[in-house]
Amino acid sequence: MPDFKSPIAHGPVSAPDGVVRVEDETATAKIVVRAGSDSSAAADLSVPFGQSRLRADGTLVCGTRPDEWTLFAAVDRAAEVAASVDTEGFVSVVDITHGRAMMRVSGPKATAVLAKVCNIDLADDMTPDGAVFSGSVANVTCDLLRSDRAGDPSYLISCERSFGNYLFAALVDASTEFGAGLPAGLSIH
Amino acid sequence: MTGNRLPERPGEVIDRGTSLAFTWNGQGYTGYQGDTIASALAASGVEVFARSMKYKRRRGIMTADHWDPNLFVQVGDEPNVRAGSRCLVAGMEVSAQNVWPSLKFDVGAVNQMVGRFLTSGFYYKTFMRPKWFWHNVYQKVLRKFAPGGRIFWESSTHGAYDKRYAHPDVLVAGGGPAGMGAAIAAAEAGASVMLVEHEPELGGHLRWGDAADLAALAELTSAVEAHPGIEVVIDSTVTGRYDHNWMAVVQRSHEIAPERLIKARAASLVVAPGLIERPYVFAGNDTPGVMLSGAVRRLINLWAVKPGTRAVVLSANPEGDAAIADLEAAGVEIVAALDARAGEDIVEVEGRGRVDKVVLGDGRTVSADLVVIGIGWTAPTSLLNMAGDRPVYDPSAARYFPNQLPDGVLATGGITGNGTTDELVAHGRATGSLAASRALRSRHDRRVLAARARNPEGPKPEFLQDTRTPLARVPHPECYRSSTHGMVDLSEDVSSKDLVQASKEGFDSIELMKRYTTVTMGPSQGKLETVNASAVLAEARNMDMVDIGTTVWRPPYAPISLGALAGRIFEPIRRSALQDWHEAHGASPLLAGQWVRPDHYGDPVGEARNVRQNVGIIDVTPLGKLDLRGPDVTKLLELVYVNKWQKLDIGRVRYGTMVAEDGVVSDDGVTGRLGENHYLMTTTSSGAGAVWEMLEDYLQTYRPEWDVHVTAVTGGLTSINVAGPKCRELLLRLVEGVDLSPEAFPYFHVRRGSVAGVADCIIWRIGFTGELSYELHVPSGHALHVWESLLANGEDLGVRPFGVESQRILRLEKGHYIVGQDTDGLTKAPSAGLGGLVKLDKPDTLGLPELKAAYARTDLPMLVAIQPDDPQVVPMEAAQIVDGDSNRILGRITSSRMSPTLGRSVCLGQVDPSLAAAGTKVTILLIDGRRVTGTVQEHHAHVDPEGVRQNA
Repeated sequence: MPDFKSPIAHGPVSAPDGVVRVEDETATAKIVVRAGSDSSAAADLSVPFGQSRLRADGTLVCGTRPDEWTLFAAVDRAAEVAASVDTEGFVSVVDITHGRAMMRVSGPKATAVLAKVCNIDLADDMTPDGAVFSGSVANVTCDLLRSDRAGDPSYLISCERSFGNYLFAALVDASTEFGAGLPAGLSIH
Repeated sequence: MTGNRLPERPGEVIDRGTSLAFTWNGQGYTGYQGDTIASALAASGVEVFARSMKYKRRRGIMTADHWDPNLFVQVGDEPNVRAGSRCLVAGMEVSAQNVWPSLKFDVGAVNQMVGRFLTSGFYYKTFMRPKWFWHNVYQKVLRKFAPGGRIFWESSTHGAYDKRYAHPDVLVAGGGPAGMGAAIAAAEAGASVMLVEHEPELGGHLRWGDAADLAALAELTSAVEAHPGIEVVIDSTVTGRYDHNWMAVVQRSHEIAPERLIKARAASLVVAPGLIERPYVFAGNDTPGVMLSGAVRRLINLWAVKPGTRAVVLSANPEGDAAIADLEAAGVEIVAALDARAGEDIVEVEGRGRVDKVVLGDGRTVSADLVVIGIGWTAPTSLLNMAGDRPVYDPSAARYFPNQLPDGVLATGGITGNGTTDELVAHGRATGSLAASRALRSRHDRRVLAARARNPEGPKPEFLQDTRTPLARVPHPECYRSSTHGMVDLSEDVSSKDLVQASKEGFDSIELMKRYTTVTMGPSQGKLETVNASAVLAEARNMDMVDIGTTVWRPPYAPISLGALAGRIFEPIRRSALQDWHEAHGASPLLAGQWVRPDHYGDPVGEARNVRQNVGIIDVTPLGKLDLRGPDVTKLLELVYVNKWQKLDIGRVRYGTMVAEDGVVSDDGVTGRLGENHYLMTTTSSGAGAVWEMLEDYLQTYRPEWDVHVTAVTGGLTSINVAGPKCRELLLRLVEGVDLSPEAFPYFHVRRGSVAGVADCIIWRIGFTGELSYELHVPSGHALHVWESLLANGEDLGVRPFGVESQRILRLEKGHYIVGQDTDGLTKAPSAGLGGLVKLDKPDTLGLPELKAAYARTDLPMLVAIQPDDPQVVPMEAAQIVDGDSNRILGRITSSRMSPTLGRSVCLGQVDPSLAAAGTKVTILLIDGRRVTGTVQEHHAHVDPEGVRQNA
């Protein structure tokens, strides 16, 4: 199997003082599970809508929408993670690893960067570490997860794959206020 | 720098150690860091800054702040810069705007000589006739007089504008003592606070006050800065308040953008704008040297500028009195200190470039170069009005006060009453506490409701009643106009005489008068003139101010540039996994909706020919793809497609068309059955989102009992159509796990296998070109590898990529129609040539009643293939099909191209049913007016109507 290629053609972009960093994390296994709230799968996943938890096997389980979960893991674990879902009853397990671009905005100014392109209240109590939500980011419908790193806010943002390069550019563009440089060839236009 | 700069003042904001050089009308000047443009020029002795709009009267400093109607200047390529608030920057090139030939001598000043002919409604009365003069003469002449400076389309150097969102619990509009007190108390109560201040620094009137004011300011500033829950946004204005406390904050002079719009959603809004000092109406009140008391106090105390040498002061309040003390401290001789409370008055000011003589109410005439007016205030109730309030005029205090406010909006400070600094701060603090308590109740609710939020730790905070002790309404005389007439609206050059005349002409309601005279319609937008206008009208009509009312404050309260409203331009662009390759190989980009696609690689006709002769590959990723799973998928397909889906075996593919409830064709595509309860639906590229939404709509609302899961997988599966007589040979080299023989894998079937080592590919035997073709749906992370493998392994077969234009040619040759091009918003299924595809005997299908009605009709247009009789004529798409030599329209060409396969032009068209029979001659009206004939064909397909090639 050839290497997995991301739609984002740029490496990480950081402000010189590290207050914000935008990086591509598309190379992540992404499994979407649809199941009724009374299903075995739901009980097994055990994460309510809007929240997330890290499973012991390293899989991050996110309650993306009511009766819908997204599971994130290392990119080579897609089949394994998909197979781990209890499919008793009416349950769908779809591998969307290739269908979603994903990027992370992190650092002390990450919230301020996101607030330039997303109109959701990102205050700590409204969107705490582990919060899962959806919204428009730079006019692209995205699923977001607050996943803090080293005490600093950090957001994993995933969108339909074809928007990936644009959205990455939009996030870097928003980061320029805090010192990040826009790499050559990267533009929101 | 001349001697107008005073020795150091206690509260001055200038840095005397940093001189800044700039130019004014081409001449060199210097100011200090901290100066505004106006203060630097005033310190250097400049007295005239502008010419008025209509009469070109000389104008000087009036308010020395952002609202000063006389301080609009051009700075470099930026027009309409407010010199009263824009901080000086080294190297600024400042000039007066809209003067000709110069500020000192403006030809337009001749208008003053004919002023009596330029009164109310002058434009309406004068420029109506003759009608043809309007465009040819009037418009051109009037534009010469239009204010607004110069814009430089080509050479403008400003950067991008910006936007951000904010969700404070409490937004405080106004950073004076009450606003700061409110912010501190709200933050102490646990609320997040955004404190927006119009000036470049917090403090309001304390900034230019006495030592006690400065001490109080220092204390408040420290408290604000010390609290992490307060975000201070200076040099910014809350310019609009909309439903549910959605506030538009315009942030000026931010380092990353000329202006930024902050879209703030606050649970509580505290309105603390203070008061705006109001000019006084008398003859010559717009002469340079006539200033408001706040202006001279700001000039003296903030920028250490001596505003004149001999002053007449008219005061009706303590702030006016304080100006006298400041003037004396600055060494200005007080020629006359007039107390308006005691009935003393100013009647007229004389002087052209500067105040020269002042006629007092007692008949005396004194020599002076400065007239200071402190006669009252306008309450800037704008945000309150936007919250639904109708402020009420109180004649005893001579200003408007808040009336009924919604729970989420509170007012504090001078807009509500008078008080000492301590009283203002205390009222602000009480207001901040109240605002916070209401906001935190709202926050509690939102935390309970939002699935992502942390559950509230405690019970919902109690609702606090408003128990604030109101600020006093100190009596103030009603001083609006002297015994003479003067300017009311300095922006628009509207005088009190104009208003009286308008009233006499019948425009005697304030809203009508506004529109007739343009009073309050200039850049000031009523801040200085609206109350005076009401007062003049009340006097003219012999009515009370209360009964006159005011004009309505509407957003924006402060001007905002279109750039800031636009912010960054976010127009998402979708790219397939192969788009980089296409661009690197010379593809001409085609914007198709949000997608950027390869239109062609330089030779669309050659690319199409290669598909017919050898093999071509095209990136068709934008094709919508929906993964459907569940035991009830068949029911869903039966509902949304016009044909039947009960008997589709695993591995089979069927074409389907969708119609809307009105029977109009809405989308089409093929759907393949991949497993027992697993299907993959394709849609048109442009319709993918709408079809997905429609399916979810039906599943979630009309048929929630059906077990179907829909997952959009458009971008996850890169779609590559491999077409041409040699395509099977090419794929045999790369496909594993699938028997590609025509017997094992016939047309309209689907298989799963690996391609070029990439597993989990979906291989369809479908196409849009009429050739033998396979469509590969490849996991996008490996798509480039598959694409390049196809090219590398098919070199000897003549494989070439082809773009959208080639595909359009090929599909038209084959007669495949495109929804939205060969159909439109009125095309019902029979008109799309669907024939027997539509099954009217199904129990339920979207649009079924309309379909039955449509199929009972015989008058609907029909989609037919047409070949122009002159094979070299390619009618433009949308060319009309007409009735012979008449212009009666009988149809239109919907698609047309020159067919490289046939060497002639080919078309599809919608025609009247009378023309639909094969062999019928039609007349096509070309865009150049020529009429050519064409012949209706038997089949839609111009090439290979029997399907021999695609079924090979």
